[in-house]
Amino acid sequence: MSSCFLDEETFCQCCQLLLQHSHSLCDGWSWEQVKGSEEGYLRKTALGTGRTRCNLDQQGNSSDQHQERTFSLSFHNDDDDDDEDDGAVCCIQEESSSSSVVQYEYHILYSCSYQTPVLYFRASTLEGRSLCLEEVWDSVHPNYRQRLQHRPWDTITQQEHPLLGQSFFVLHPCRTEEFMMPVLKAALEEHRQVNYIVTWLSVVGPVVGLDVPLSYCTQVPEPPHTPSRSPQPPPALHSPQP
Amino acid sequence: MADDKDVLRDVWFGRIPTCFTLYQDEITEREAEPFYLLLPRVSFLTLVTDKVKKHFLKVMKAEDVEEMWFDFEGTPLKWHYPIGLLFDLHASNTALPWSITVHFKNFPERDLLHCPSNSVIEAHFMSSIKEADALKHKSQVINDMQKKDHKQLWMGLQNDKFDQFWAMNRKLMEYPTEEGGFRYIPFRIYLTMSDRPFIQKLFRPISSDGYTHTLGDLLKEVYPVAISSDDESKRYQVVIHGIEPLLETPLQWLSEHLSHPDNFLHISVIPAPSD
Repeated sequence: MSSCFLDEETFCQCCQLLLQHSHSLCDGWSWEQVKGSEEGYLRKTALGTGRTRCNLDQQGNSSDQHQERTFSLSFHNDDDDDDEDDGAVCCIQEESSSSSVVQYEYHILYSCSYQTPVLYFRASTLEGRSLCLEEVWDSVHPNYRQRLQHRPWDTITQQEHPLLGQSFFVLHPCRTEEFMMPVLKAALEEHRQVNYIVTWLSVVGPVVGLDVPLSYCTQVPEPPHTPSRSPQPPPALHSPQP
Repeated sequence: MADDKDVLRDVWFGRIPTCFTLYQDEITEREAEPFYLLLPRVSFLTLVTDKVKKHFLKVMKAEDVEEMWFDFEGTPLKWHYPIGLLFDLHASNTALPWSITVHFKNFPERDLLHCPSNSVIEAHFMSSIKEADALKHKSQVINDMQKKDHKQLWMGLQNDKFDQFWAMNRKLMEYPTEEGGFRYIPFRIYLTMSDRPFIQKLFRPISSDGYTHTLGDLLKEVYPVAISSDDESKRYQVVIHGIEPLLETPLQWLSEHLSHPDNFLHISVIPAPSD
């Protein structure tokens, strides 16, 4: 069954339906179109809470005397090959973390490689300082943190935004079908409407502080059914070049 | 074919002579000499510049040193792009050696990803390989490999071991004979004259009626601006690994032979020199 994957046209249609409901709630979603193309993405900014550090310090070497916790990203538990690596690491001083107001910006893009939506986001303090990866990790609700740590492909990493070229954080999309498949299958069997984006967002959004009010799930329909939901191949180019 | 395997070696062993100069506003205890290095086209800046860092740290105090980053003529260089791509995109029509400026302060947070350790480079590299296989084989080949096989791909790149790398990578270059090629071609077309960093779309190497798509077909479909019509002079160059392949080259062949180790074809479209 190919319907756990999303083609780009259905993605756009789902987004437009989500937008209509968003306008009725005035909760801030907008559609950003890429200049000169059909492509675009959903965008929303929101204030939330996060855990940030007051005395954020970046040093080339970790030092014992200040009781600093050195954080270096490692996705494999048995990974030891960054021993001789004295690249800068994000050193955090234990005692100065606090809960503070954080400005979030969320983008929902379409990935043609995985045929799923992808959630990009960035976060900054009210003074305009970008949060570093560890602060973002610490801002994730404790209920979700364990899941992120033990499954590298669900984790949050820093990536380049494919349309803007700027640094964002991303929830890795390659396991999306695992949680979408049962939902879509059940909906099909029970003849229920499911808007792919709304369902997907209600799962991934809360992990990074983005709540999806219940009315989205009851009020937003799915796009009109099309005969085939798998991506169509590009039109065949028949004539060889002269 | 013997000739085609030579192409794989030429791609892997491509080098760019580079001169690293410390940014003039960095605080030093004495004058910093420039540092010269041959950079592998297929690797990543943060993976191969430990020597650069050690060289400049000799004349700096620890408190003046934060995460190292690079710029070329004022443009911050994205370490997560292969070195050869960065050169082709920004500096291919300038004189060698490539002159890169080294910074240890004022990291451009919005524009560059942080790279605190080699694990980050590895994660990024493996993520690209995984994405490429999602396009080529619906992730079947990469998912059938064991963790140690994934590690071998990374170690091959990190330690510049062509044979070790290709022992594994050849599996990612196979396809069912009856298909004639991969499902979709992993490619990115990088633009200099746009806000958008690159174009990436689904594109099949072989059409449903068996026609073999070429580089020219790809460009016509996803970035027609790159191809000038017959009556006007060429406005853009289409560059892969520092060369301009003929537009008639089959895309499947390019994907198998001119991809980077991350299994993507990274294609630069740059303005043609004006003379």
